[in-house]
Amino acid sequence: MPTWKEKLAGRMDPQIAEEVDVFETQIALRKAGKMDEKVFAETRLRRGCYGQRYDNGHRHDGVRTQQLEFPSDLTKGPETFWDAPGMQRIKIPFGGLNPDQLDTLAELAEEYSDGILHVTTRQDFQLHYVHIEDTPNIMRRLAAVGITTREACGNSVRNVTACPIAGVCRSESFDVTPYAKAAAKFMLGHPDAQGFGRKFKIAFSGCREEACGLTSLHDVGCIAATRSENGNEKRGFEVYVGGGLGAVPQQAKLMNDFVAEDELLPLIQSIGRVFARLGEKKNRAAARLKFLITKLGLDEFRRLVDEERKILPADSRWSSYIPDVARYQESPKHGPTHLNGQQRPEGFEKWHLTNVYRQRQEGYAAAAITLPLGDLTAAQARQVANLARRFTGDNLRTTVEQNILLRWVSEADLPDLYRELGRAGLGEPGAGTILDVVACPGTDTCKLGIASSRGLAGEIRSRLSERLFALDESVRNLHIKISGCFNSCGQHHIADLGFYGTSRTIANRKIPHFQVVLGGKWQDNAGAYGLAIGTVPSKRVPDVIDSITARYVRERKGTETFQAFIKRIGKQECRAMIEPFMEVPAYEKDRSIYSDWGDPREFTIGDMGVGECAGEVISVSQFDLADAERLVFDAQLQLEHENYTQADSLAYRAMTQAAMALVKTQFIDVGDNADVIVAEFRSRFFDTGLLGDRYAGNKFAEYLFRRHDSPPQEHTIDQAHRIIEEAQLFIEATYACHDSLAERGARGMVVAPVHSGKAAGKL
Amino acid sequence: MELHRLGVKFFASDPASIHLEDLIPVFHGWIQRQVIPGHVLIDVHDYSHIQNGPGILLVAHEGNFSLDMSDGRPGLFYYRKTPTALPATEHIAAIVKSAVQACALLEKDAKVAIKMDEGLVIANDRLEAPNDEATLAELKPAVAAALQQVFPGAAFNLSRANSDPKERLAITVQRV
Ligand code: HEM
Ligand code: SF4
Repeated sequence: MPTWKEKLAGRMDPQIAEEVDVFETQIALRKAGKMDEKVFAETRLRRGCYGQRYDNGHRHDGVRTQQLEFPSDLTKGPETFWDAPGMQRIKIPFGGLNPDQLDTLAELAEEYSDGILHVTTRQDFQLHYVHIEDTPNIMRRLAAVGITTREACGNSVRNVTACPIAGVCRSESFDVTPYAKAAAKFMLGHPDAQGFGRKFKIAFSGCREEACGLTSLHDVGCIAATRSENGNEKRGFEVYVGGGLGAVPQQAKLMNDFVAEDELLPLIQSIGRVFARLGEKKNRAAARLKFLITKLGLDEFRRLVDEERKILPADSRWSSYIPDVARYQESPKHGPTHLNGQQRPEGFEKWHLTNVYRQRQEGYAAAAITLPLGDLTAAQARQVANLARRFTGDNLRTTVEQNILLRWVSEADLPDLYRELGRAGLGEPGAGTILDVVACPGTDTCKLGIASSRGLAGEIRSRLSERLFALDESVRNLHIKISGCFNSCGQHHIADLGFYGTSRTIANRKIPHFQVVLGGKWQDNAGAYGLAIGTVPSKRVPDVIDSITARYVRERKGTETFQAFIKRIGKQECRAMIEPFMEVPAYEKDRSIYSDWGDPREFTIGDMGVGECAGEVISVSQFDLADAERLVFDAQLQLEHENYTQADSLAYRAMTQAAMALVKTQFIDVGDNADVIVAEFRSRFFDTGLLGDRYAGNKFAEYLFRRHDSPPQEHTIDQAHRIIEEAQLFIEATYACHDSLAERGARGMVVAPVHSGKAAGKL
Repeated sequence: MELHRLGVKFFASDPASIHLEDLIPVFHGWIQRQVIPGHVLIDVHDYSHIQNGPGILLVAHEGNFSLDMSDGRPGLFYYRKTPTALPATEHIAAIVKSAVQACALLEKDAKVAIKMDEGLVIANDRLEAPNDEATLAELKPAVAAALQQVFPGAAFNLSRANSDPKERLAITVQRV
């Protein structure tokens, strides 16, 4: 029986296929105790493999904290047991998906996860309860349909998001899809994006006014803009920087009011370089780009980015995609029609009202599939893929509201589509309404979760679904977003009614609570963040929602928005509104309040673990050194299989890789040409004696020079054996040198890495 | 065939009597007492909001148990995820046994009765066990032998549940 690797060979992008092989070796190395747990943790995170709750082996079972006796003691990172199943995040740039990809996702959910696909608040998919050993095959099967999980987590460029209606929107300047696609491709694995102290998020929006792109909460937000030059329309972007949610949310600031399309990628690259060089690395809590911009000031940041731009080595990819932009087009399955006279099934009108968006293109509509809590089963996913094939062609998008959008539905097909969705259990109305509650994973699976965001969201949904259309229209269209803790993965700041989980202790007992966050603005690309007004017990939140919304309906002036209403009545009054719900009855009187939604265990925060919003900050050089070790390991495997030529070449590559790791600490743009690496290494580390101060490093460097200058004439077992030994010793020496440089750096003796050849001359 | 990813489902006798939320505390209790031999029980997940979904899920390191609602037919589903190092027939028998144990516990702790005269065996691995006649021919005898081990003396009818190549190979098991 062939393996997935063999079966899919030729269908995977060769580079991704190789990356997955490398990851599989890294898994084997970690299993054999040959890879450091911290480096492995950041390595797996950069491939989208997160930890999950209880993976530290502790679980509160409602009575006591229990040790989960996993079969082995091996870890996947500090305090993360190897055998604890984890989460796999799958990156979907701009949420764009075709039916074959959805079919594959469904297969993976069935075979490796729990049969469920979960759509996240940044247009990704997640699979839960996945074993690390299964991840290479998951990645291969995804690669075969053009999906990578690379950099889905970790200190890297995360999924590039965009308005799900880009290209069909009635108010956009132009379709941002091809630009989002190009940015995602360009930054994926880019050497300038490997040395970040924290994650880096990019979003695209087609206009300034609507919410869809949520650019203001991103590190880099790009809003489509056009300019007229000599009578020609020129495309470009308003670029905003330094936005982000999290414990200290910040609105992105306008850095440049018009960046021409061909300057967009170099600008993002330059921002990445400045962030990699100057961003905080030690204190995770202050490591996002927003903190660097606050520290430097926007003007100084802009100046540094401009300087960086000037010295960037030119790259043809900056503009090579632009000729394709004009050709970018989605082709509908059926011609344009109108909804006219077709028989409308029961419930259709309501669904049509909330879930259907009339496209800019006459005769077409985009239909949202409401996914409760962002979840759908593998069987449903296959049904959706088939409906897409039947009605729309290849045009599916995930949305930040955790739904799926079918674009280019010919309008007369809508009743049939609705009927079919109903059959699949996916015909619920209410997309984008108060019913469509967004929630992060919370205590269900997240190690940092304090309260049950999904449990609360489920409860709100089931209470409101009956009365959705009885609600006043002004209330029906409000947004509720819930995070399980202050980290705000559920984007609670930008909801009308936001909530984040917290805990309060009363009479020695812990009670799950939510902070109530009011006044956030969804429009204007998440134009304003709400503020917390007080905490209420988790079990009181649905009553709080009823009470606040009822008052809004009663006291609303004309067409006053909810946000304006909250501002008008003021903080004091807002707090007064929730005060009646803050009271906690004695344990003996009402125990229900001492446990969370959907979880009958008595509440505790004892299950919280170390958060994996990313792993440790691992320098680019540490990764390169770990890679060098892996290459020697691969060389050994080849030796074992009597492939001496390959063993020699891998061992040699391992040495140049290790040399490159050291050179990069001084000269990040060294590239991967062996001649350049060896020359730079010789002048910077050998001639200067930097390598020589421990473990006879200089002697070991001779091994590299000898192999580089005179490759073997004959490949024999002895030669292969010897070079593997030499490579190993050389790597030891580079490690020792790296550590001693790092120590000296910590004592203030080494300057920050120099970023490019030209700049090196200047410094 | 090196097929360790397999699922077994037994159906509930009285679907109407099932209230999914009631299963949540029951499964938490199982974790407290770690009641299923050979399994490290880890977590409970509520999927009751999904139509025909996995209902309430009990996650173990070795596999997932659920009060499953798929195809609109509630039942106890057990999916094995990790290998057992046993030969094929014994491996399948071990999976069936784990499912039967869970059914007995369900009846005792949640008063959900499960029928043992009808079931579903799913080969949850599209590489090792594509949904075709050849795989069926190979798998059937191992499933039959495994059932003999768990239910000695009983006779079963085994038939292919569907032939859609996108679906997994599934065998309907009927006691005769
Ligand atoms: C200190 C640690 C963490 C911080 C500061 C953090 C912060 C954030 C923020 C601000 C977002 C929101 C949206 C956005 O920026 O557009 C987000 C997204 C998300 N976070 Fe976290 N997070 C952390 C850890 C975690 C953990 C441990 C989990 C659970 C395993 C998690 C799950 C998610 C999910 C599912 C999303 C939406 C997804 C996506 O990128 O596809 N986060 N995170
Ligand atoms: S907001 Fe908190 S609980 Fe929710 S996913 Fe993020 S870190 Fe976890």
